[in-house]
Amino acid sequence: MTPDARSLEAAHAAIRELIAAKLKYLVPMTITFMVSYIGLTVLAGFAKSLLGTQVTGAFNLGFFLITFNYVLSWVLAIIYVRVADSVFDPMVRKAAATITSVGTST
Amino acid sequence: MNTTVSIFIVILLITLGITYWAARRTKTTSDFFAADSQLTAPQNGFALAGDWCSAAAFLGFSGLTALYGMDGALYALGPLVAFCTVLFLIAEPLRNCGKYTLGDVVRSRMQTRTSLLAVIAGTVVVNFAYLMPQMAGAGVLVRLLTGISYDWAVLFVGVSMIVYVAFGGMLATTWVQIVKAVLMLAAGALILLLALSMVKFNPLTFFDDAEKRYGAQYLLPGNYLKNPFDQISLGLGYVLGLAGLPHVMTRFYTVPDAKAARRSVVWVMFLAGAFFVGTTLFGLAAANLLGQDVIRAADKGGNLTLPLLAQYLGGGKGTFGGDLMLGFVVAVAIATILAVVSGLTLSTSGAIAHDFYVNWVKQGEVKHEVWVARIAAIAIGVLAIGLGILAQGVNVAVLVILAICVAASANFPVLILSLFWRRFNTGGVIGGMAVGLVSSVVLAMIGPAMRGANALWPLVNPTVVSLPLGFLGAYLGTLLYGRDLENERRFDDFSLQVHSGIARK
Repeated sequence: MTPDARSLEAAHAAIRELIAAKLKYLVPMTITFMVSYIGLTVLAGFAKSLLGTQVTGAFNLGFFLITFNYVLSWVLAIIYVRVADSVFDPMVRKAAATITSVGTST
Repeated sequence: MNTTVSIFIVILLITLGITYWAARRTKTTSDFFAADSQLTAPQNGFALAGDWCSAAAFLGFSGLTALYGMDGALYALGPLVAFCTVLFLIAEPLRNCGKYTLGDVVRSRMQTRTSLLAVIAGTVVVNFAYLMPQMAGAGVLVRLLTGISYDWAVLFVGVSMIVYVAFGGMLATTWVQIVKAVLMLAAGALILLLALSMVKFNPLTFFDDAEKRYGAQYLLPGNYLKNPFDQISLGLGYVLGLAGLPHVMTRFYTVPDAKAARRSVVWVMFLAGAFFVGTTLFGLAAANLLGQDVIRAADKGGNLTLPLLAQYLGGGKGTFGGDLMLGFVVAVAIATILAVVSGLTLSTSGAIAHDFYVNWVKQGEVKHEVWVARIAAIAIGVLAIGLGILAQGVNVAVLVILAICVAASANFPVLILSLFWRRFNTGGVIGGMAVGLVSSVVLAMIGPAMRGANALWPLVNPTVVSLPLGFLGAYLGTLLYGRDLENERRFDDFSLQVHSGIARK
């Protein structure tokens, strides 16, 4: 199809809105898992004895943080899917709907 | 041993049956490279789990935990967290703007032949660096597990993968990976159940017992990775390198749309993630039940931890249950290798046939692309067999590190900047790829993995340095190349496609 130039401009604007919305959610989510995971590797490298702090029995802080990172990854993945389904996808449909074709379409 | 060989033959027959079925359905180029994009999200999720968990994950993580404690658990965590990056930033854009390869993304962004060539280099280097240790590992493992000699084992694995890929393309590769993932998860669940039954279903007992036997030091980090920066390199390599591994990323082309790509990532995160958690518990259980001495005696790297644990839990050596469990785990290990090398061969064939021959040499004009792809797959397979046989006795561990390091330091910067940075241009692609590749290769080669005590530089895994260098190369390359206004204007259309899947044609 040949899209009408003005409608294409509107679609580009809609996509810029989508990108802004993605940034709003994804920047904090990315910072969260990067800090949590890379932070753990930094502690594993430089604060070995801290990670040996007892949590329960022989299960120490290091293993607790490892477990925490598993759970965090799964929770963030589920949050992402919910946000993408309910926020991003409708914006994509809106952008797609703004594009109208010039003359006979397809 | 007889149980092992018979289970081995059963696996072979099943995968060949799959290939026969898939070959009859593989006619077009899209069938060959992307299973015609007709897979469902759960199917792709299982296949991703099969593709991503190499023998290093299936056998290695438990072994590392058994011998070195927490470092093994840290090794197992990264491959899961890595999928957060892929889910948030890569999977859907890739599905929206590419067709069969990573090269497609950069080609549709830059529309220059030079940038395509740079990405082909990144793909081929990463894939071969990954493929060679898999072949060598297959040789050692199959010999260890079945008694077949190294050369014959490499030949057998190589010929199998050529048959799957050349005849059955992505469809056969996918189903081999799905079968492997199902077997792997079944084996993992069974072993976990049996192991937990030994400790009244309280996993914390594994930790207490391990501390009693090996002391508190065992449950601290640093027993395997001595240099603190190696811990960080490992983490960075995983979380950013996965997105630059072509053989995993091309799996997103097998589903119909971005929504299915998204869902397949969540599937793999729960399937593979659960298995990774399991490997930590297997390692601790094995250290407690078998003892590190027994594990080391069987293989000094600990790679036989899981098979030995399975044998023990099944009733021990010489019992029917023990033999059966051992045979089962061995079969899964072999299926694991076959699934991973097939994925690698297919994605390398994409880089050679689709990116290089069709889009670079012939500039998009070629009939019978699918035949070029099949021939490429055969050639890659033959080369991999040759390299695998030559690699006997050579330390190939450095190549695994190199593969992930190049993926993170060269492929990832180029991919992510292509997708999201308006000013990024052909110069940036070349700069990022060249600096990322060269710094990874040079630093890995002069490090302790290759030169031991004579290392000129302290880190086994150089990602912590080469990754920033790769980004710097991409940035400087972009500036040196000058403004590419045509490309910057096209970025709006490209973004439309990246975020919505709508292509302006």
